[in-house]
Amino acid sequence: MSPICDISQILEDELLRKVTKPTRYTGGEHNQVKKDWSGVDVAMAFAFPDVYEVGMSHLGLRILYHLINEQPRMVMERVFAPWPDMEKAMRSRGVPLFSLESRRPLTDFDVVGFTLQYEMSYSNILNMLDLAGISLFAEERLYGDPLIMAGGPCAVNPEPLAPFMDLILLGEGEELLPRVLQAIADFKRDAGLGAIAGGAAAAGDDLAERRDRSRREALLLHLATIPGVYVPALYRSEYAADGCFLGTTPIREGVPAKVKKQIVADLDKAYFPTTSLVPFMDVVHDRVMLEVLRGCSRACRFCQAGSIYRPVRERSPETLKRQAEALVKATGYDEIALTSLSTADYTCVEPLIKELIATHAEQKVGLSLPSLRVDAFSVDLAKEVQKVRKTGLTFAPEAGTQRLRDVINKGVTESDLMETVESAFSNGWTSLKLYFMIGLPTETEEDLEGIARLAEQVVYKGTAILREKGMNKSVRVTVSTSSFVPKAQTPFQWEPQAPMADLEEKQAFLKKRLRDRRISYSWHDARISFLEAVFAKGDRRLAQVLHRAWQKGCVFDGWSEFFRYETWLEAFQECGVDPADYAYRAIGYDDPLPWDHLDFGVDRRYLIREHKKALAAALTRDCRADQCAGCGVCPTLGVSIDLRGGDHVPSPDRL
Amino acid sequence: MFRVRIAFSKQDPVRWLSHLDTQKAFERAMRRAAIPLAFSEGFNPHPKIAFASALAVGIVSFGEYVDVDLAAAVDPAEVRERLQKAMPEGFGIHGVKAVPPGTQALMAVVNRAQYRLRVPLQEPLDEAVIAAALSRSLAEASWLVEREGKKGVSTRDIRPGLFQLTGSRTDDALILEMLVQTGSEGNVRPEEVLEAVCRYGDLSVDRERVRILRLGLFVAQGERLLTPMDVL
Ligand code: SF4
Repeated sequence: MSPICDISQILEDELLRKVTKPTRYTGGEHNQVKKDWSGVDVAMAFAFPDVYEVGMSHLGLRILYHLINEQPRMVMERVFAPWPDMEKAMRSRGVPLFSLESRRPLTDFDVVGFTLQYEMSYSNILNMLDLAGISLFAEERLYGDPLIMAGGPCAVNPEPLAPFMDLILLGEGEELLPRVLQAIADFKRDAGLGAIAGGAAAAGDDLAERRDRSRREALLLHLATIPGVYVPALYRSEYAADGCFLGTTPIREGVPAKVKKQIVADLDKAYFPTTSLVPFMDVVHDRVMLEVLRGCSRACRFCQAGSIYRPVRERSPETLKRQAEALVKATGYDEIALTSLSTADYTCVEPLIKELIATHAEQKVGLSLPSLRVDAFSVDLAKEVQKVRKTGLTFAPEAGTQRLRDVINKGVTESDLMETVESAFSNGWTSLKLYFMIGLPTETEEDLEGIARLAEQVVYKGTAILREKGMNKSVRVTVSTSSFVPKAQTPFQWEPQAPMADLEEKQAFLKKRLRDRRISYSWHDARISFLEAVFAKGDRRLAQVLHRAWQKGCVFDGWSEFFRYETWLEAFQECGVDPADYAYRAIGYDDPLPWDHLDFGVDRRYLIREHKKALAAALTRDCRADQCAGCGVCPTLGVSIDLRGGDHVPSPDRL
Repeated sequence: MFRVRIAFSKQDPVRWLSHLDTQKAFERAMRRAAIPLAFSEGFNPHPKIAFASALAVGIVSFGEYVDVDLAAAVDPAEVRERLQKAMPEGFGIHGVKAVPPGTQALMAVVNRAQYRLRVPLQEPLDEAVIAAALSRSLAEASWLVEREGKKGVSTRDIRPGLFQLTGSRTDDALILEMLVQTGSEGNVRPEEVLEAVCRYGDLSVDRERVRILRLGLFVAQGERLLTPMDVL
C-alpha cells in the first residue's frame, strides 16, 4: 500500500473519530483544488503554524492558494498545526504530518512554506517539521528533502528562525512566489532529476550525500539571486567577544548584501481570486474577504504593519464590486468583510458600501468593517452596514492622554472620541469596545488614569444618551489592553519594552480603577508580550532557545492553555541566553540591528526622525492628504501612493 | 411560504461534519445555487432549515431529510439539479418534493432509523456463532445501557426500541443490520445495540473500529414503513 492510502485509511478508520473537530483534518471543502500530481512540475505545501480555524481565516492563504493552483504546472496544498489531541494520535500511530488535499506526507512536496503571522507560533513550526519527519535544521537537509520556506509579516525579522529556514521571501507574495516556484521547477528540470523530493541519497552513501548537499547549495545559491529571496545560510551574523551583535553579511559571491522586499505596484491589477475555500467548521473569519486597499499612511509609531505595507495602494470600486459578486456566488457566504488596515480610509468607501448593500441585501448578505477609525464618519459607515445585520463597534484610541497619543502619532483627540461615541449611542449601539496599549514609551500614571477616565466618560455619555432616548437598557463598555511590543522597522525599534513587573502593575492598577459595573476590563498576558518582544527583536542566537523550548514541550504558545512560561525561562537559562537583553535593551541609533541586511524600503533616517519626534510628542501628518513624510518607501521600491478617488478625502481634522 | 423536502446522502469526507456544520453547508450551497431562502425576522435573520434528525459525527448516511423554506416557489426538479451542483463533495441530493401546507414537521413524524454496522472481528467466527449470539441476546427481556446526560449517568432499557436485528459476516467483519426507534419518543443508538449484542450474546469484536451506516429514516404507521418522501 502506498503511504498516501495508508494515511487516509488510518485517518478514516482510527484517528478522526478520536479527536475533537475532525473536520480540521479532512479537507474536502467547497472550492478545494485537488490536482493530478502527474502533470505538475513543482508542489508546495502552504503551512500555517496554528490550528485550522485560525489559519483558514488568513487572507494571504486564500490568495496564494488559488493563485498557485491556477498555474497549470504548479500545485499548492494546505497543512495546519494539528491540535495536541491529534498530534498525540498521529505520533502513536506513526502517521506523518500530511496535506489536507491529497493526504500526502509533507516529504512529498518540493517546498513547505510557513507563513509567519505572529512570533508565538514559532514553536509550532518546529513541531510541524518534526511531525513531518523533516530535519529541523537547514544544514542537515539534503537535495531530496523539501525546501523549507517562510514569508509573511514576521519575515521583517526572521533571524530567530534563520537556521531552520532554507529561504525566506520578503514582501508581498503575489508576484514573487510564482517566480520562485518556477525557478525551482526549472532547476529540477535542468538537473534532470524529476522530483526534488524523493531523490535523496540512500543512507550511508557518503559520496551521493555530498553530491546531494552541493546540489541543494547550488539551488539555494541560484534562488538567492532572485530579488526578495533571502537565504539565511548564505549570510553570517557576527558578535563581539562581549556578545554584542555586530552585523550580518553574505558569505558567498553574488549574494546581495541587502535583500530587498518585493511589492505589487498596482493592486488593481494584482491577482485576486474570484473563488475561495468554504470551511465546514466555524473559523475565526468565515466570510468573503475583500481587500479594499493595502497599506496605511497614518504613521502610528508603534505599528509594524503601518511601516511594512507602505505605500497605500487602493483597488478600484469596479474591481471590488466584481470580486464581491463573484465571491458571493462562488462561496455562498452571507457576509462580506471589507478588509485593510483602516477601511474607512478607502477613498471610495461610501459609494462602495452603498452599492454592495444594494446588490446583496436581498440575499441577506451583510457587510462588515473590521477596522475602523475613531471618528463619526466611521460610525456613519457602520450604521449603513448595520441595515442588513447587527454588528459590534470597536475603536482603538490606543492611549489615555493627548500627550501620549501624540507620542505614538495616533491622530485621535478626546473630542474625536466623544463625538464618535455620541454618534454610536445615538444610532442605537449600547455597547462598545475600546482598545488601548499599555507600556508605551514615556507612559506615566497619568496616562493610565487617562484610560480609566476616558472609559468612564464614554459610559456617562452613553448612559445620558440612552436615558434621553427613554431606553432603560444599560451601557456596556469593554476596555481591553495589550502591552506595547517594540517591533523591527518601526520608529520604536530602538525602544526597550516596559519591564514585565511594571506591565503587571499597570494591569492591576486598571483592574482596580475600572470598578464601574458597566465597564469590563480584559488584558493580555504580559509574559507572552515579553516573549514577543524577545523574538521580534531577536537574532540568530534565539534559534537554539526556540529549539530547546520545543524539545521541552512548548507548542501553541499563543494559546493560554498551552503557554508554559517557566519552561521557556528554563530553555533560555540552559542556552545561556538572557531574554531581558533583547526585550529591555535600549538600542543606539548607530548600533547594528539583526534585520539591517533586509531592506523593507523604510529609511533608517526617517525612523530616527520619527523616534525623536515621538519623544518630543510632535506629530507627523498623513502622507496621502499632506506632503510626503520622507519614509523612503516610494523611491526605494519604485512605487507610489495609488488612490482611486471618490469624493471622500481623509478627514482634515485628523491632526 | 413555499417549503421543499430534500432527501440526501452524506458520505466521505463530509461524514465528519457536525449537525451544525451540515446545516451551514446546506445554507451556503442554497445560496450558491441561487435558490431563494426564506429568512426569519429580526436583527440576525437566519434561514429556516429543519432536519429530520441529527446524525452523529462520523456516520455515513444514505437516507437523510431536510425541510427548507423558500422565499418563492421553485420547481423541485430544478432545486434538485442546482443544489446537487452546489453541494460540497460527499453530499448527494436524491430527491426534492414540495411540501403541502399543513404537513406535519419532519422531526415530529420520523420515528424509525435503519442502520448497518461493520465491526472487525477479533477472532474468526462462523455464521452459526453469530446467529447463536444474536438469538441469545434477543432472548433477554431487557437491554440495559448507561447514558451520560446533563444530569450524570442514567440507565435505560433499549430493548423495547429495537424492532429488527440481523447479523452476518464478511471475510473479517461482523455485519449487523437493525431497525430502531428514533425521534420524539426516544432514540436508540446503533453503538448501544452493538454493545448489548456483545454483552448478552458474548461476542468479541473490535468495537473501537466500528463503521456505521445509516440506511434510512422512516415513518412507521402501524405495520407500514414509509419514507418521509412517501408521506407527502
Ligand atoms: S515615501 Fe512619502 S509618500 Fe511614499 S509612503 Fe513614504 S511618506 Fe508616504
